[in-house]
Amino acid sequence: MGEVHMLKVGIVLGTTALLALVGCGNSTGDTTATTEADGGDTSTESGEFVAVDAPGVTDTEIRVEGVTASTNPLGIPADTAGDGVNAYFEMVNSEGGVHGRDLVLSEVHDDQLANNSAVIKGIVDADSAFAVLPIATMLFTGADQLVDANVPSFGWTINPEWEGTEENPKLNLFGQAGSFLCLGCAVPAPAFTADLGSRSKIGLLSYSVPQSTQCLESWQKSIDRWGEDSGIEVVFEDASLTYGTTDLSVQVKKMADAGVDMAMTCMDNNASVTLAKEMKKQDLDAIQFLPNAYDHELMDEFGDLFEDSYVMISFAPLETPEDSKPKGLENFEEWMDKTGGEITENSMVGWLNADLFVTGLRDAGPDFSRQSVIDAINSYEDYNAEGMLPGVNWKERAHTERSQPDCNSYMIIKDGEFELVSSEGTFTCFDVEADTLEPSYQ
Amino acid sequence: MVELVEYAIRGIPTGCVYALLAVGLVLTYKTSGVFNLAYGAQAFASASVFYVVRKDHEWPLWAAAILAIVIVGPAIGLLLERFLFRYLRGSPPMAKLVTSLGLLIAIPEVVRLLLGSDSRKNPPPLWWVGRTDEWLWPQGSAFVLDAGQIATIVSTILVVIGLVFLFARTQIGLKMRAVVESARMAELYGVNSERTSMTAWALSSLLAGLAGVLVAPLFASLNPLDLFTLLVAALAATVFGGLTSIPLTFAGGIALGVLQAVMAGSLPTDSVFATGLRPGLPFIVLFALLMFRPGLRSSGELQDPLAGVDPPPPSPVSQDQPKWLTRGSRAVMILLLVVAGWISISVLDGFWLGLVVSGVCLSVILLSITVTTGLGGMLSLCPAAFAAIGAFATAQLVEATGMTVMVAMMIAGLVSAAVGAALALPVVRLGAVYLALATLAFALMFESILVPLSWVSGGSVPLTVPRPLIGNVDMADDRWFLLFAATCLGLVAWVVVRLREGTTGRFLQALYMSRDAAESIGISATGPRVVAFAISAGIAGFGGGLLASYAGQANYQASFAYLVGLVWVALVVSTGSRSVLAAIISGMVFFLLPAGLNRLFSWPENWLEAHPDASGPVASLLEVVTPSWALPVAFILFGAGAILYARNPEGSLQAQMTALGRFVNRRIDPGGQAPDSGDEPDRNPSADLVGPS
Repeated sequence: MGEVHMLKVGIVLGTTALLALVGCGNSTGDTTATTEADGGDTSTESGEFVAVDAPGVTDTEIRVEGVTASTNPLGIPADTAGDGVNAYFEMVNSEGGVHGRDLVLSEVHDDQLANNSAVIKGIVDADSAFAVLPIATMLFTGADQLVDANVPSFGWTINPEWEGTEENPKLNLFGQAGSFLCLGCAVPAPAFTADLGSRSKIGLLSYSVPQSTQCLESWQKSIDRWGEDSGIEVVFEDASLTYGTTDLSVQVKKMADAGVDMAMTCMDNNASVTLAKEMKKQDLDAIQFLPNAYDHELMDEFGDLFEDSYVMISFAPLETPEDSKPKGLENFEEWMDKTGGEITENSMVGWLNADLFVTGLRDAGPDFSRQSVIDAINSYEDYNAEGMLPGVNWKERAHTERSQPDCNSYMIIKDGEFELVSSEGTFTCFDVEADTLEPSYQ
Repeated sequence: MVELVEYAIRGIPTGCVYALLAVGLVLTYKTSGVFNLAYGAQAFASASVFYVVRKDHEWPLWAAAILAIVIVGPAIGLLLERFLFRYLRGSPPMAKLVTSLGLLIAIPEVVRLLLGSDSRKNPPPLWWVGRTDEWLWPQGSAFVLDAGQIATIVSTILVVIGLVFLFARTQIGLKMRAVVESARMAELYGVNSERTSMTAWALSSLLAGLAGVLVAPLFASLNPLDLFTLLVAALAATVFGGLTSIPLTFAGGIALGVLQAVMAGSLPTDSVFATGLRPGLPFIVLFALLMFRPGLRSSGELQDPLAGVDPPPPSPVSQDQPKWLTRGSRAVMILLLVVAGWISISVLDGFWLGLVVSGVCLSVILLSITVTTGLGGMLSLCPAAFAAIGAFATAQLVEATGMTVMVAMMIAGLVSAAVGAALALPVVRLGAVYLALATLAFALMFESILVPLSWVSGGSVPLTVPRPLIGNVDMADDRWFLLFAATCLGLVAWVVVRLREGTTGRFLQALYMSRDAAESIGISATGPRVVAFAISAGIAGFGGGLLASYAGQANYQASFAYLVGLVWVALVVSTGSRSVLAAIISGMVFFLLPAGLNRLFSWPENWLEAHPDASGPVASLLEVVTPSWALPVAFILFGAGAILYARNPEGSLQAQMTALGRFVNRRIDPGGQAPDSGDEPDRNPSADLVGPS
């Protein structure tokens, strides 16, 4: 009896395997229709209302939808990005909207269990949103669908899926300050902040997961390339920490023995706090470089542990002095206040996403289409979001290459508050091809 | 040598954290017979209450501690005992494990709904300071401790001494042990087993509350995931103590902390051992202990000495269900599936169609749980790991050799089956609790050691997996892929049913009913279970490849994280672990329920927008409901299903079928006379293709 059954199973499996061998191939995935330029009427006289036949566009509204991580128990919420978009749209609508229409963020979907692929599939299929923004999720599994459907998409660039290549430049995906992450590349920040803080002995720590170790590799390259002349060197490195680690006493002891005076971590704020507490316990006089710590709530609670440490962000911080505060930042603060949105790094990202979208929409003209908006944005060589960004070259670099020069806002933590390190400009820039770090300012 | 000693000393505070958590787990097991996977969730509940009253409402330390630890902690324990575990006292260990798994999933979401889901930064310590590092002692020493560490070390030592005294010297300790071993026998000696059991749960839950409040300040913000991660790291200590010995468990916790610190200090940080072994050390130790600790295989689990005089357990109720019900339900279900398929293809939009296809792919994976748990009677907690192995193998095979994705999926299934067989050889000999722990350890080792390797997972960018092309039919279209996935599901379901009907299935059935009886007639307890485990892993691997092909990438975090795998297990077991249909329903529910609830909970918001002038209690009530409730409520429902497992050990689906059969029988035959023909019990094991058995 059993043998007969197993024989049947074998026959079925064997037949299936044979079918698979002789009749199957791999899909190239190109059956999804690419959205063509979908403008309707072509009357383009300046100042005249033009009917447009595009998804999500009516005579009174331009509707967009977003997807954010909100309730995923395995992730970090990023839903305040929607607050930023809403605030920006309110501002634009108060001035009459764009092309005679109000901007509406009609729905911000929760990607639940990193399910943004299904959510994006739904948005694309429903064809009821002109663009997708904000996208603020821990994982970006729906990237390919947005590229295939050629929907203008704007979001928080923390995943390599945003990056384009020469073969697949992903020209419709727009991060808040460029789409190319260049994980593992040498970046000026570590060597610059070490030099700025007159530190020379560096300790590097990361989790054992690939994103974290690639980041560590990047820090290492930075020190090797630009730190040598200033006598900056890596004297301790540990890339085998686990997520949720609660004890770094041995690492700190070894850092103290090695004379570390600056620690650079590619970990979350949890680990940065654990490290700071341990350094305090062992009386290790070292500062940190914190790439992920532009978080005012974190500083309220733990700011004193990070005294003199450095933080870097890619856009103008709220701490920009009043006399040099860019117009975009003033608008952001004013409209976040008016709309009751929560001011966080993510809501700033949402605001920047909305600004880029609206700028492209305006420049696409009254007979705009998805393609014309994408084309308009990709013609910008120095897009700066009314001074909130250092200038992004969407035309030539931002999809497929790292920015050149590399510009960021650098801040130091003093008494639990962020302070810009330079009085010469909001952004400190470096030529990434140069052998030495010569800062310029914007 | 001096350095090694120094590193070892630095590991002691962390060892105390492990020991505190592990001792609590052992206490629960020792006093209730439940290996409480929800211990971390209970700890999270107390820590959340402590945070809210101490930090948000600025209660004094003593008042906050009393409320969170002495009142809320035991109250949760008493509720669990009164409404759940009291009825599980005589149940097999697997029933208790599944129930605690359900609680693990549900409790944190209940807490979030009740207390809010804001990020709670800087959990306050159980000390008279606002932050642990504000009080250091002894200042200037080489080994400075902070307030949190001192509180933890002192508490752990006091708890261990107290528990050792309790069990060795007090009547109540003796009674607790007696009740767990055999409530009936204890009652013969005049012990009030219910009161003793309630005391035990209150005590162990108090300890969970204490652990939660003490451990929470180790993290920058309060998160149940962090507490559970720490708890699973502490499992090795519980096994070191054999789940019974408090002193040994304490020693195991300390040893684990010390070992971690010594390895961190002495291994070169760029060595393969450091990067490969250190992240997974607690899980490697756990697995090694489960394999090699003397006496574990024979004496690990608590058994009632009076069990020998119990009658044999009843046969699965589905085997007594009338033929008409089996046939009728089969016809109805096939019809429903066909209609559902037609609706999916012709009516649903991209979002819902995408969820349905994902659900079908997941159903294939979940059939692996039907094989291990339903047929084999083994609670494996690593189905997601096998699915991930299949997904990665599929992606790597396609990328490296350019072979067709269908062939790659089949080979990936074989690879996964081979890994499953290798794992099964040592673990199937273990008892239910240890087997569950061993498979959990495997899942965690896989996640912490293998997934980070780029030759396994592809590194930071997920590996791409194409969709199949069969003849001229390109599966890039979701509708075609749905048909393809449904065909795969049908084939795998057929294999599962054939397996059950075959020799292996019957051996497994015999072992499930009575291992001793089966072995006495020459059935090996190992062989069939290894086969079942390997086939299950193969199915999960094949399903993982299928899911990855649909998603276009083998993305571990998005699809195969071990915690997601635990939810899968809870869902399948509560729906009906022996039923093919239950696995299919579970796969669909996993994707469709949260999305459906999201739409449902969007309705009040939309209604209020459309009726801005609405007021009164109804409007106030509607204002409270938001779409963000969807996932928490879905998780609570998933958890609730598992919590009710003990009531319906064959699953809720079979419970409904049985109720239906009884209802119809009563209507047909109010006098209770059995029909003459056509209603004899259906003993055909394949009956549960659509009606579970």
